[in-house]
Amino acid sequence: MSVIKAILVVAIVAAALWALRHRENVGLRAGGRLLLFAVGALAIVSVAVPDITQKAADAVGVQRGTDLVLYGLIITFVFTSAGLYFRQRDLEYRFATLTRALAIHQAVEPADLTGSIPELPDSTA
Amino acid sequence: MPVHNEAAVVQGVLTELRKTFSNVVAVDDGSEDGSAAEIMKAGAVLVRHAVNLGAGAAMETGLAYALAQPGATYFVTFDADGQHQVHDAAAMVALLRTGEIDVALGSRFIESGEAQGIPRSRRLLLQAGRRFESMTSGVSLTDAHCGLRAFNRAFAQQIRLKLRGMAHASELLDVLKRSGLRYREVPVTVLYTAYSMKKGQKSINSVNIAMDVWLHQLFSRRAGR
Repeated sequence: MSVIKAILVVAIVAAALWALRHRENVGLRAGGRLLLFAVGALAIVSVAVPDITQKAADAVGVQRGTDLVLYGLIITFVFTSAGLYFRQRDLEYRFATLTRALAIHQAVEPADLTGSIPELPDSTA
Repeated sequence: MPVHNEAAVVQGVLTELRKTFSNVVAVDDGSEDGSAAEIMKAGAVLVRHAVNLGAGAAMETGLAYALAQPGATYFVTFDADGQHQVHDAAAMVALLRTGEIDVALGSRFIESGEAQGIPRSRRLLLQAGRRFESMTSGVSLTDAHCGLRAFNRAFAQQIRLKLRGMAHASELLDVLKRSGLRYREVPVTVLYTAYSMKKGQKSINSVNIAMDVWLHQLFSRRAGR
């Protein structure tokens, strides 16, 4: 692996970490969506002009056009997975907060015991 | 006290606890057995999650309830499966009352602490976990994952846990470190009974815990979560 490749790999990892740390930045999210449009446009272009991926690969020094597409795909996949992971975690946190509020609202205190055992709060677990 | 499917033992554990502690909150974390009814029989406050959220979330719910009670000064977390000793918890609260520390953490590996009947593999795993913990959180402890803790209001108010499952123990240390509060490990006895071993964590789950903790630290925004 040449030095430039090593630098590129490090740069990608650093950029990924930075982007994920600042994932709530509005500009970054907007950029991500614009990127999505750009990828869509590129897909259409590459269907219309199949040779274009090869030409792009030649331009950046990658041997085959399909390899270039594959790299792009891998990077997109990693970012998408990470994004989903964090979104899911945020959702879980909201869900926990909601369930907690509900549980505390329905708490049964022993003082409620008026001779009979109080009914259990609804639980559809 | 977080409770998940502990109907067989929870009443006994709670009854024992209530001999020393008058205010006991049990959080039924979406149990599918009769845990909730057993909790009520024992005369503890019952707070019930409609779905299972994990031990960390259940603990936080219990604390949220307790924090809302006027006059609540000290808080104890206790496992429902009977592995902890009530007198250990009482000793921890006594230590808090002296005002020397804000947080007391149970340790079964500190000198004069005990882990009765602990399998050798579990001991090794917990020691590895401890090393991982001191590396990632910067808090150096002899026991990383003991469920018996006692702390004051200052610490209870700061606890906001985002990690699911058992990774909350590590996240808690993270909170502890950032809080700058004074803490100390206190020797406790943990009983490894056939029941607690059957109910307890699978060792392989430590892989999940480590991954969760690591990802969390890597990607968390530095200022305010």
